[in-house]
Amino acid sequence: MGHCILTVDDSSTMRQMITFTLKGAGFEVLEAGDGVEALEVAKGKKLSLVVTDVNMPRMDGITLVQRLRALPEFKFTPILVLTTESDASMKQKGKEAGATGWIVKPFSPEKLLEVVNKVL
Amino acid sequence: MSRWFSSTPASGPALGLEPVAPAAALGEALLRLAAREAAMLEGQVNFLTPELLQVDSLVREAAGTLEEALRSLDRSVQGQHALVEEVQAAMNISLEGSQESSGTASFGHAIMGTLEHLLGHMSEISESTELLVSEVNDIRERSQRMENMLEEVAEIAGRTHLLSLNASIEAAHARQFGAGFAVVAGEVSKLADRSTALSSTLQEQVQGTRLALERTDAHVHTIASKDLNLAQKSRGESEALVKALEASNGTVTGLVAQLEANARQISEQVGHVVRSLQFEDLVHQTLMACLKELGNLQEQAEAWKALEAGLGAGEPAAAGLARLEGRLGEIEASRVQFRAVKSGTLEAGEVDLF
Repeated sequence: MGHCILTVDDSSTMRQMITFTLKGAGFEVLEAGDGVEALEVAKGKKLSLVVTDVNMPRMDGITLVQRLRALPEFKFTPILVLTTESDASMKQKGKEAGATGWIVKPFSPEKLLEVVNKVL
Repeated sequence: MSRWFSSTPASGPALGLEPVAPAAALGEALLRLAAREAAMLEGQVNFLTPELLQVDSLVREAAGTLEEALRSLDRSVQGQHALVEEVQAAMNISLEGSQESSGTASFGHAIMGTLEHLLGHMSEISESTELLVSEVNDIRERSQRMENMLEEVAEIAGRTHLLSLNASIEAAHARQFGAGFAVVAGEVSKLADRSTALSSTLQEQVQGTRLALERTDAHVHTIASKDLNLAQKSRGESEALVKALEASNGTVTGLVAQLEANARQISEQVGHVVRSLQFEDLVHQTLMACLKELGNLQEQAEAWKALEAGLGAGEPAAAGLARLEGRLGEIEASRVQFRAVKSGTLEAGEVDLF
């Protein structure tokens, strides 16, 4: 059975680029437009990885990481933050929330796949 | 770390105006507010200018990269088409000087046809040759037996002749009583002579048959030699076909390697396209920050308009200025302190695994 990855971003272009890259590598990909939708999509799913943006409407990425980590089924699921934010204090917040890694946009498909394969 | 604005906010102490402030105090307060507003405006211009320049830079870079990537993709795809055509051509092998070309399937079919033809021919010739050899051997044996029989006939003729000679001698001894016997002996002698002549003729015929058999043997050897020539020719043709196939395989292998290299190049260009298309998100976030700042400018303008309206309606200047200062403070506090997008380029961002 292949890996299922949830990608969360309010930009449909970003979601498409991430999905294009991951599906091209053979992964199953689910999409959500913000943290709230991500929690709904993730409910009852067996996810191998979550890739989330930070700045999103309704629920930001850092809060989403905290909420997912509070759920037993996502306690050890790798979560990568993919954002334009590169500030050290924001990274620290992500780390404290329980993120596995931090990728600054824009991403290169090759690099994203390298990181994804490393954390899976 | 790049802040939205670098200048220190001109937030001085509260106005603290008396209900009825002297004109000098009002003028001073007004000057302070004007300075604060000027500082805010400067900070906002300092923020908006690089943000908008960044948008321009990102859009230009994305457009340039996309254009180059698409041109490169177009070249790669055209190259791919040409290579595929070359592969197809390489797989159509011309057979030894023939203008006709055929694919790998008919190429294999040609080899099999040649070999089957050869085998069929060899098999037929082999069967015929075996039959011929068998017949020749049979004739040779019969001929040998005839020779033996002729030798016996010759011996009988010799003995008959001797017998007739003895009979003639005995007839001479018997004088007049042997006259009839001498006639018989003479006839027997004649028969013996005819028998000897016939035997000799037959011997000649048998020798002629033997010579014919030797010639037949020679013909059989010639046929066998022709079979060998045909086999060698077929072998040569098969080797030529196999060499042509090997050469074709070499060409196809080289072309497939080029196709793989081309595919890698296309994949790389697609990666550039994926990276460049993310400019939409970067530009969107930058423009949202600009709009937020423009909203602040709008609110500042409205705060000044409210002062103007209040003063026009007879509101005490001190109260109006105090309200304006309070509002400007609120607007300043609500401003985002960090740029939404730090990267002014579309180069891939850094990765940090915790």
